[in-house]
Amino acid sequence: MYVVRRWWDRNGIRLGLVGLALGSAWLIRQTQGALIYEVYRGFSNPFVGRPVETTATKDPKVLELEQQLVELQSQNRQLQELLGYIQQNPGKGTVAPVIGRSADHWWQQVILGRGERDGIQVGAIVSGEGGIVGRVVQVTPHTSRVLLISDPTSQIGVTVSRSRNMGYIRGQSANRVIMEFFDKVPDVRPGDVVSTSSYSQLFPPGLPVGIVESVNLNKSPAPEAVVELSTPISRLEWVVVSTNPKAGGTELSPQENLDGSQNSDPDPLGDNQ
Amino acid sequence: MTIQLTRWPSYWRRALNWGITVGSVFLCLLVLPTRFPGMSLLDVGPNWLLVWVVAWSVKRTMLEGALAGLTLGLIQDGMTAPDPTHALSLVAIGVITARLQKQRYIQEDFISIALIVFGMAVLAETITALQFSLHTILASPEMVERDLGSIWLYHQRIALASAILSSLWAPVVYYPLNRWWERFAEIDQPQA
Repeated sequence: MYVVRRWWDRNGIRLGLVGLALGSAWLIRQTQGALIYEVYRGFSNPFVGRPVETTATKDPKVLELEQQLVELQSQNRQLQELLGYIQQNPGKGTVAPVIGRSADHWWQQVILGRGERDGIQVGAIVSGEGGIVGRVVQVTPHTSRVLLISDPTSQIGVTVSRSRNMGYIRGQSANRVIMEFFDKVPDVRPGDVVSTSSYSQLFPPGLPVGIVESVNLNKSPAPEAVVELSTPISRLEWVVVSTNPKAGGTELSPQENLDGSQNSDPDPLGDNQ
Repeated sequence: MTIQLTRWPSYWRRALNWGITVGSVFLCLLVLPTRFPGMSLLDVGPNWLLVWVVAWSVKRTMLEGALAGLTLGLIQDGMTAPDPTHALSLVAIGVITARLQKQRYIQEDFISIALIVFGMAVLAETITALQFSLHTILASPEMVERDLGSIWLYHQRIALASAILSSLWAPVVYYPLNRWWERFAEIDQPQA
């Protein structure tokens, strides 16, 4: 008894401190670092400027194309309504500042300065100027964490807009992603626009992703194309977060949310052309 | 400062010591998501937690090094993704750094700390890359998220960038912390 008590007197506090440290580390792990990100946001808040208005620098050509786009979109919607096709459009977006990057080197993530209080939910789509950027995988009251599409675990079903050839993209931790086709001989050439396909389980169809840079049809097991993302992922400053109509429909297991893996439909879709 | 501190009751001093230690960890955690110009190379920043674990373990036992590595590893898991765990590499760093027994063999200076951090950063990224490779090898083919080639190509890039940056920035964490711990040990020793 005496020995135990002496040992306790000498090491009790130390043991308690170790337990406290490990316990709080475990707590932080289980809450996914919410406390740290909240404090981080508090510090970074004064340095966040205002989103730069780019309207003034738009040249007439861009304005003309935008007007054409609006016209075509409304025509498209009318035709879809005539066909009785119901499509849920992505909701209106929240503009959010990018306040941080991933806390280690292996994951391609960004931290946004808006969170649950601003109506952002897990699964929301994040897009930058030019196309989609990623998907919200975790929210705290004032911050949210985005898994970028350039992360190797991000796999998204996409389609070549011109020929409707299907495939999926895989991140390469850079501004280029690899697109793998389901078809053996896809109709694709450099310059084609790639957008999300209706088979993607996590993103609504038709969102722009990037432009095909080069094609390798001899690649085994499936032909590949290198796609340049239309958004400069490494220089993101402001992004738009919009609600995802597919987020509610897809049952994401907690594990999937945790490690952010996105499983696009791996079924061979070659017969769906 | 020293004179005032010696007059403090010892439990106050210890509380201050723990406060400074925990505070420095918290600062490291807050700097992790940043990529300040001059602090990043190829979009990779210094591995602050690794620097902290090395600074902590250099003059401590292997068990203490392992515990610090485990604690910080769990926190980093929470901040990024828990699978594969960061705790494994940080525990290994803590144990090996403590095992080096630097004060016995190497002179006390920044260069040696920078060298240790350089080696440990490469080791840490290698352990993570091994974990990813194991995932790839064990996973069923359709669940493979990263293929082996890209893991090790990426490993080369970030291991070098992370090692260079971490070793260059290591003194920023090491110098003040080491100085404080030395001072604290000096004051605390006579009564203890």
